[in-house]
Amino acid sequence: MVTKVIQIILSPVLALVIGVFFLGLARKIMARIHWRYGPPLIQPVIDMIRLFYQKSVSHGRMFDLGIILSLVGSVVVVLFMPFGKMCPLRSSGGLLVILYIMLLAPLGLAFSGGQGANPNISIGVSRKLILSLGYEVPLLLVLLAVMTHYKTISIAEVVDVQQSTGWSIISWPLFLSGISYLLILPAILGIRPFDISSAPQEISSGPMAEYGGKYLALATIEHAFVLFISIALFVNLFLGGAANPAIFFVKMLLVFVLGLCTNAVFPRFRIEQAIKYLWKWPTLLSFLGLIIALAVRS
Amino acid sequence: MSLELVLIIAFGGALLTYLVGKISCKGRDFLAVVVSLSLVAFVACLYGRSMEKAFYFGFFGLGFILRLNMLSWLFAITIAVVGTLSIIFSLSYIRKGEKTDFYFFEMALVNAAMLGIVLSGDLLSFYIFWEIMSWNAFLLISYNKGPALAAGMKYIIMSIIGSVCFLVGMLSLYDSFDTLNISQIASAITSVSSGYILFILATFGIAFGIKNAILPFHTWLPDAHSEAPAPFSAVLSGILIKMGTYGFLLLLYVIVGLKVFLGLGSGLFSFRSMLCCLGAVTIFIPTFIAMLQNDAKRLLAWSTVGQAGYIILGIAFGTNLALAGGIFHFFNHALFKALLFLAIGAVEFRTGTRDLNSLGGLAKKMPVVFVGTLVGICALIGVPLTNGFVSKWLIYKTLIIEGSPFLAFFALAGTWGTILYCYKLIHNVFLGQLPEKYKTVEKAPLSMQLPVIVLSFAILLFGILPGILLKIINAIGTSFGFESLNVTLWGIASETGTLNTINIFSAVLAAGVIVWIIFRLGAKSVSVSQDDSYAAGAYTPVDKYHYTTEFYNPLYRMISPFLRDIVDEFYYWIASCVQKLAGGVRRIYSGDVGYYVMYIIFFLAFLIFVQLNWKPW
Repeated sequence: MVTKVIQIILSPVLALVIGVFFLGLARKIMARIHWRYGPPLIQPVIDMIRLFYQKSVSHGRMFDLGIILSLVGSVVVVLFMPFGKMCPLRSSGGLLVILYIMLLAPLGLAFSGGQGANPNISIGVSRKLILSLGYEVPLLLVLLAVMTHYKTISIAEVVDVQQSTGWSIISWPLFLSGISYLLILPAILGIRPFDISSAPQEISSGPMAEYGGKYLALATIEHAFVLFISIALFVNLFLGGAANPAIFFVKMLLVFVLGLCTNAVFPRFRIEQAIKYLWKWPTLLSFLGLIIALAVRS
Repeated sequence: MSLELVLIIAFGGALLTYLVGKISCKGRDFLAVVVSLSLVAFVACLYGRSMEKAFYFGFFGLGFILRLNMLSWLFAITIAVVGTLSIIFSLSYIRKGEKTDFYFFEMALVNAAMLGIVLSGDLLSFYIFWEIMSWNAFLLISYNKGPALAAGMKYIIMSIIGSVCFLVGMLSLYDSFDTLNISQIASAITSVSSGYILFILATFGIAFGIKNAILPFHTWLPDAHSEAPAPFSAVLSGILIKMGTYGFLLLLYVIVGLKVFLGLGSGLFSFRSMLCCLGAVTIFIPTFIAMLQNDAKRLLAWSTVGQAGYIILGIAFGTNLALAGGIFHFFNHALFKALLFLAIGAVEFRTGTRDLNSLGGLAKKMPVVFVGTLVGICALIGVPLTNGFVSKWLIYKTLIIEGSPFLAFFALAGTWGTILYCYKLIHNVFLGQLPEKYKTVEKAPLSMQLPVIVLSFAILLFGILPGILLKIINAIGTSFGFESLNVTLWGIASETGTLNTINIFSAVLAAGVIVWIIFRLGAKSVSVSQDDSYAAGAYTPVDKYHYTTEFYNPLYRMISPFLRDIVDEFYYWIASCVQKLAGGVRRIYSGDVGYYVMYIIFFLAFLIFVQLNWKPW
């Protein structure tokens, strides 16, 4: 019981620390690829503390509640996500619940932004939702392949099985699904070539356009959580999770740096191009992956 | 407490409401509410009982049988509650219209007829109530005249086709078994061939499918739902089309029976998997069409088609979890879709429009309706802690565990489409800019807010404590011959995955409190007007542009070429062919006596010609 309470408190904190570390690391690595020196690793922390004490504007009740809702959603997902051996709420609904609570984050931001009455927010949210429809199609096929193959909807069990039988990305029934997940990972993370919804130079950060002060700080925390969740989901489902948090962290780091390299060299897609890409190769691969998983099962 | 009393109150109350309306409007309103509330109380008192009672009126020696069990009780209470709330909503909504007495009479009569359907124990009385419901629905759909007349016509034509199919099936059953009592047919049907069962399933399936708007019988629904008065749209979408669902449950699990139903055909070509595929397609395509609508009620109407697909998928899949999910989703859909139609009705009442391209920013003007809509769309999407989540979870889980990931994919992808149109609905009506002309919009009247509040509360209640309803549904499932589920107050426990809403609830609550405290600790924010926004240095003229117009334009350009309603076009083609044919036939009856004499002479000449040549007589 005591360990459970500690886990419940510890896992969001750990997730936040890792997410914020990734944010700092991203700026550093991007700078080095661009032949710049880059800001110090703890720059996001400094920014957040500063932002908390700065003035901000609010556009109404929903503007405040939306951002809170989105952050709550992310914190709760972290409780469902196995991190090493740690998974505080492992038996309360499994992967389907994770899938659904992951919705709260973008939905909350969209509600909050919606009340901003700003043209850039309107465009940004519209793009974000279309993009998420784009990547959800292959993502759902991938997740269904995993759940069909392991005959469970519990993510903790998927991790346990992989601990004894090896990573699922190198087991042949789930190989195609794993590749497909890797192909859509940039879209899930919202990094280039899929930073369509934020697009700073085009629609001034889209859904975040009206945020300042503590709103921006909370949005950054939210972003850190989303980074953690998206990568942790991949590591749990395809890279076998981990027996302890340290190995888990190393695996996450590898996936993240891979994503950053994509981010550094690609220009931005238009929304139509993004949808065309997402509904072509990743969907085809994940579709084949699901057929294979189904065939192996029966 | 007897069943005939419920029906007498329902039908008598409807008639009385009409008569009192001729004397005083206030008395009529009062009576309509009292009658419907007393129906809720009566039906609630019948909880847990099962009874069957026969009356004989000398109609071909057939009995008029009333029957109550857990299944019909669940449907009856839903009908009574949603019916009452929509009548309360109508009090101020319909006041300005003409023929208000008639309107309330019809509303009460539709509710009474639906109660009759679920309480009837033989097919003949089922059919009679079914027809009363269908015809009254037609009158209510065309209540607003104009385009509503065409919508009503489309509905009633399809409805009649369904009724004819029902009649054929019913007569054939009577011919084979000499009885129309449902329980007697159910016990006799095990001895007939599977070909005959398929015939019965097809005839009744068309009748119920048209009412339930399964693809390809859905085309009446979008027109009818968007043109009907808002409170009746809530009844139409919430419970009237669910009479098709009730029919399917009765047909598949009571009349035909679980074993026979699951044993029809095998593999992909079994009746069950065909129906499942139909359900999956019904989820998938309408969801994408809903995204492209610009009329709030039409959007909700297409969403109704899609959600009905979940119910059919759950019922047709034929495992205890899926059935529980299907029935639970019927109940949830009745709540949240009624809520959404009523909320949009309140907006239409105050602003006079439901065009998503011109509304906006009403959250500050109509806060209660806004919160209601928010809860409603969360339930429609299936956000955890709303009731929609539990039913969808049950359906997904059983589809995945039983090895039908493609059906699960359609169901899940439908949900992601749902997010898009739900957000469009709430954003374009309640969030975003408030146009200048709606600056003076008032709050919705109390009689409109009350149903919205009650329904929102119910959605959250059944989302956090789904066990209340799951126990009833479990009783229905076991009466159909399924294994009992391990139901607790806050979810379902099983070896292959547990649902525990109370854990999710406490996690959300705790996280909410912490995040809220952090939010309050930061520097205070200044409240600004909507025109004081950041546009990256560009000048945004006040009230010149509407940012929410054509919200998903890129997606629209991409997918709209693929989403023609081919079925609807096909029906219109048939209709125009029939019209041409009838026009041709009409020319024969010219009204000129000379022509008729000519026909007679030609006919006689033909007969003489035949006789001379072949001598048949």
